[in-house]
Amino acid sequence: MKKLLTVASGLLLLTLLFLWWWNARAPKPIELIPTLTGQPEYCLTCHADVPEISPSHPTETFGCVSCHGGERLALDADLAHSTMRGGANPSDLSVVEASCGGSNCHSGSEADDRHHIQRVITSIQSTYAGAISNIRFTFGAQTDLSAHFGIHAVTDEQTQTGFTSLAKFDLFNESNPNIQKFGENCLTCHINATPREGDAYARQTGCSACHSVGNHTYTTAIPYTQCNACHNRGNYDLRTMTFTERTDQPTSRLADYYQPIAQFTQCEYTLDCIDCHTRSEVMGDGDIHANQKDIQYVQCKTCHGTLTELPLTKTLTDPNDIAFTLAFLNPIIDLKLGDTILITEKGEPLWNIRLLPDGTYEMIGKATRQYFTFRPVMGTACEQNPAEQESRYCHECHAVEH
Amino acid sequence: MTDLSRRDFLKLARAGFLWISSGLALGGLFRFLDYEPNPAPKTEFDLGPTGQFPLGSHTVLFDPPAILFHTKSGFSALSLTCTHLGCTLEQTADGFTCPCHASHFDADGNVTHGPASQSLRKLQVQITAENHVIVYLD
Repeated sequence: MKKLLTVASGLLLLTLLFLWWWNARAPKPIELIPTLTGQPEYCLTCHADVPEISPSHPTETFGCVSCHGGERLALDADLAHSTMRGGANPSDLSVVEASCGGSNCHSGSEADDRHHIQRVITSIQSTYAGAISNIRFTFGAQTDLSAHFGIHAVTDEQTQTGFTSLAKFDLFNESNPNIQKFGENCLTCHINATPREGDAYARQTGCSACHSVGNHTYTTAIPYTQCNACHNRGNYDLRTMTFTERTDQPTSRLADYYQPIAQFTQCEYTLDCIDCHTRSEVMGDGDIHANQKDIQYVQCKTCHGTLTELPLTKTLTDPNDIAFTLAFLNPIIDLKLGDTILITEKGEPLWNIRLLPDGTYEMIGKATRQYFTFRPVMGTACEQNPAEQESRYCHECHAVEH
Repeated sequence: MTDLSRRDFLKLARAGFLWISSGLALGGLFRFLDYEPNPAPKTEFDLGPTGQFPLGSHTVLFDPPAILFHTKSGFSALSLTCTHLGCTLEQTADGFTCPCHASHFDADGNVTHGPASQSLRKLQVQITAENHVIVYLD
């Protein structure tokens, strides 16, 4: 009996020592009370070294939980992470409304240009409607190229394009094996798709697909390399209906593009994609579109004009002009009231391009901060036909050789 | 030196185990009873003697984020927490600007540029009998 008591007291001591050690090794909690929520959270206890996501989202204001979810008071990693939204990517479109939405944030009204989430969800980058309808048309599943399906179902009651909704594309409803293969192999890349497994793909959906350029860093200064993470990642093999991921590491932007026969003018490979392509082209305009061509409208003439017309410009007279907000979020240019900037035919500001007094234009790279000057086509020896504005026509004279 | 019998050794070990266990348990209990939760965030801030804020001055405060004015009509304070999402404003030549989303407020705290839609909050200021300036966040 006494022997048993000795063993029991020894076990009790070991248990208490273990509990003491377990308690002592726990990190000292670091409390943060974000101004936005006023509720304490302890995420910084383990994540104090995570960089601030952007100047517009300071940690002391937003904290972590308002975007990521999670158990804000938990000190155990598994418990703290158990209710996180979207895993490593709270901007995944399946959870984005809870993470990034709200009328003061990214799902406000169209009137105050704060309906980012609605725009992205209905955008071509999200629905993939054009490719789906093209494949279904090609293999006889539909009689025209109208958009009927998206990667997910979307609706837009106030559509300007005639498309009020897209149904969810379901490969099991398709009888043609090529369409089924397309459904199996080709729908994983788009920003509303279920991300592929692996850390490398974790942030390639939702807002992060474009805006997350580094470790927990968001920006509107998006370099072309970010776009190329998807747009130069490989190529389709239409014989087998598969996507063949490239295995090499592209080193030359000009020579290592995924389509070897592609042609480029100097600005197409020197500038970043976002220097020319606008927010509504990339993020959508809030309406459902049938294909990429319906939404992508910037052409060479947008910046260079034609033989008979100068590019469109606008003199900034309203301090509330969206151009100032965009220049504030990516402060590469000191825009002032009275400056004349280029605009697109839809009126979107190309706020990084200013008209200079000598009639030339100055562009500042949104990601590189490099300065470029260029002149309009009007008054030059260019022999363009003003009606031929697709880049292939300009490539005839201005393509850069590899 | 007498050899310790097996029986005595076990007895000694048992007593030692129990004493150390009791110590650990008591230590844990005291630690538990001694625990103090983090205090609630402050809502009252003693800024010091009124003499530090001469007539005509305006002083940007860091804690709380606010600006304290001393005019002929007395002391007053404006919160420098942006009414949009709560970032701390920066003073500019013509008012206050939010470094997060570019909201702008004039010197009186009125919105002149969104996305904020509400004016800056006026904070209650009190002068104590000892002539200290107290600012209240509530």
